[in-house]
Amino acid sequence: MIFHILYYKLLSFVKTTFDARVVSIVRGVASIVVFGAFSFAAYRFSFATTHYMLEHTRIGLHLYHTFISMMLFVFFIAVNLGNIIVSYSTLYRSAEVSFLLTKPVPFTSLFILKFFDNFFYSSTTLFLVAFMVLFGYGSYFGYPWYFFAGVMVGVLMPFMFLSACLAVLVLMAIMKLAGRVGFRKVMAGLFALYFMFIYLFFDSANPIMLVEKVNRYYPHIDAYLSQTTPVFFHYLPNQWVAEFLFYVARGEILTALPFAGLLLAVTACAFGLCLFVAHRFYYRSWLISLQVQSAEQAPYDPARKRILDFRSRSILSQQWEVLLKKEFFSFFREASQWIHLVVMIVLTGLFAISVSNLNLRIRVMDVQLLTYLVIFAFGGFMVSSLALRFVFPMIGLEGKAFWVLKSSPIKESKIFAVKFLIGFVTVFFLAEYITISSSIPFVRITEMRPLLMWFGIFSAFWISLTTVALNLGLGGYFANFLERNPIRAASTQGATLTFLFSLIYLIVMVVIVLVPVSGYFASLFQFKHFKMDIIVLPGTLYAVVSYLFSALGFVVGLRSLRRDF
Amino acid sequence: MIKLINVTKKFGNFTAVDNLSLTVPKGEFFGFLGPNGAGKTTTIKMIVGLFAPTAGTVIVNDFNIVKQPMEAKQSIAYIPDIPFLYEKLTGREFLYFIGGLFRIPKSTLHSRVAELIEHFEIGGWIDKRTEDYSQGMKQRITIAAALIHHPKTIVIDEPMIGLDPRSAKIVRETLHAQSQNGISILMSTHSLHVAEELCDRIGIINNGRLVFCDTHEQLQLDKARYDGKFESVFLEVTKQ
Repeated sequence: MIFHILYYKLLSFVKTTFDARVVSIVRGVASIVVFGAFSFAAYRFSFATTHYMLEHTRIGLHLYHTFISMMLFVFFIAVNLGNIIVSYSTLYRSAEVSFLLTKPVPFTSLFILKFFDNFFYSSTTLFLVAFMVLFGYGSYFGYPWYFFAGVMVGVLMPFMFLSACLAVLVLMAIMKLAGRVGFRKVMAGLFALYFMFIYLFFDSANPIMLVEKVNRYYPHIDAYLSQTTPVFFHYLPNQWVAEFLFYVARGEILTALPFAGLLLAVTACAFGLCLFVAHRFYYRSWLISLQVQSAEQAPYDPARKRILDFRSRSILSQQWEVLLKKEFFSFFREASQWIHLVVMIVLTGLFAISVSNLNLRIRVMDVQLLTYLVIFAFGGFMVSSLALRFVFPMIGLEGKAFWVLKSSPIKESKIFAVKFLIGFVTVFFLAEYITISSSIPFVRITEMRPLLMWFGIFSAFWISLTTVALNLGLGGYFANFLERNPIRAASTQGATLTFLFSLIYLIVMVVIVLVPVSGYFASLFQFKHFKMDIIVLPGTLYAVVSYLFSALGFVVGLRSLRRDF
Repeated sequence: MIKLINVTKKFGNFTAVDNLSLTVPKGEFFGFLGPNGAGKTTTIKMIVGLFAPTAGTVIVNDFNIVKQPMEAKQSIAYIPDIPFLYEKLTGREFLYFIGGLFRIPKSTLHSRVAELIEHFEIGGWIDKRTEDYSQGMKQRITIAAALIHHPKTIVIDEPMIGLDPRSAKIVRETLHAQSQNGISILMSTHSLHVAEELCDRIGIINNGRLVFCDTHEQLQLDKARYDGKFESVFLEVTKQ
């Protein structure tokens, strides 16, 4: 049965993906070029980082793999949360499931189909990124080709699969509890639980603490950090992957293999548990999801006016008013939207608080410059991720109801402007929060001179403007108006291309800021003369390049809104 | 008033509408019929501005839909065949949303919404989110929303899909009354008896071309030439 359905799904996928039209071929070739460039960049970045950390800053294999473990933890949680949210749509709200449930298809088969559909659909790009990062990392150590294939299939994919299995188990537990205590309460509890878990992890393995230890003992760090791993880390899959890589790097293959074996065994058990729970509970949980949905279907009380009620008067023009209200209700009445926003805000807050407490001790220009650029790039990366997740799907999520706007007397530019404004204001405030927080340690080491903070505020404005314009514009260009799930919309091929485009923009920005920032650090640590004029040209270039990228987003977006619908 | 002058719409090599010319004067109820894939919905989408014509001109209430889209759309109402709505809004919110898009003053809008809710008998579920509506409920909300700004022209694609007999009666009576009040209506339908009952003139499109266009009176004569059934006329003119 599974293979029968799979065959037709595959047939449908092939027919819709491999299109012989010229436009599709050009688009496909462009995708390959961009993906290829991105893959190469990921490879180079991973290789250069490994080389730099182990040979330039000489942090040692143990500490480097501790950082890798932390990155893998974040990756594991991100895959896990993403899968919980996407699985809810694919397992409980999908029209395909409703259709197949009316046919003699065993519930477990249906579950397996949707589970794999979900996992592979949302993880394809992550596989590519993971492989290229692994390739860069392994190339530094000169590993043979079979190492990459083996680690990808035998370690990284099971690692991601384990995360997805746990996500589905958590989701079914949510549905079970939601039937009893209500969906909102369960979500609030789950959110608190995840927050506590992330907090505990980083409280025990604080990367800031590690950086400070590096700063304190630099460059003699190996002697001090070999026994810093907390005990409970040994129970976490990210640690198994990191330890596997660590022992392979030391050439101790026999010590490494049990970690891969443990990961595979736990993953197999988790999948087995998923199947067992799904066999007993999937259909029941699907029925509970209907019950939960119907509980939310109670009509609103027309006598009570709510916040932003359509009936209330407004100082805005009528079209602006109704468009803003429509966007507000569409967003905050969709659980997968506001929950994900809250998660992103909390993660942004954690990052900002951690970075603002960073105590930079090394008075070495290269190290401080690198730290600044890494934080700058990571801040930009977070802003791009926010824009991708929330701004890119905005036009496509109009869905088939877009006829309403297209046949109404409203200009496309106004529709675009409203969406842009909402995206820009949200992203801009978060970007400024990240920027100001991450500037604090540098202001501290520069004896309270706020130049870097002002520069951060300036750059956050342009980065927000550009990433929002790019994501909205290209989101319109790639919109097919069929995908109703915002998370899936933000993980399509078009979304990935847009994200890569944003990353190219960010790389250009990092290169532009390199000259003035290095000059500034040279004046601080090497007592060289620093003229303010040195900021003018890169600052102008920064604004001009951002403007050009933004203009591209605006033009593409507006043209896409004018297409036939 | 709707005027199509030599309108063509191509999708790649496929011609969906081929050099179509048609006029629906003020106050006329025009029935637009044709087999599946004949070009009805494409024509309608060009009239309301969802598609840009490849060639030709579309005039709505004296405004060119391509060159003066705001003015044209302000005076027209569109009711699609499948009533996709903003799912997270309630029916009432959707009516206010449409009212805002057409810039109807709030004071007028309150009474207009109340009037439409009463007319279409939708008060029982108007404050539920539209994602919980049946097809018929969505269709009634769409028709109510289309009338909110007192359009001069109404374009309807398959208005009776999913409507229960009572709702269908309300819609038929409403459209008839609108037509009597001087509103031009272009209605696409597969229901021959609805077309016969309501329309002043009927056009049949096939392979993108208008192959039949006659008044209600002329249609009776055409029917008499066959077996007295409109179905026979339809089958004959759309024969491949």
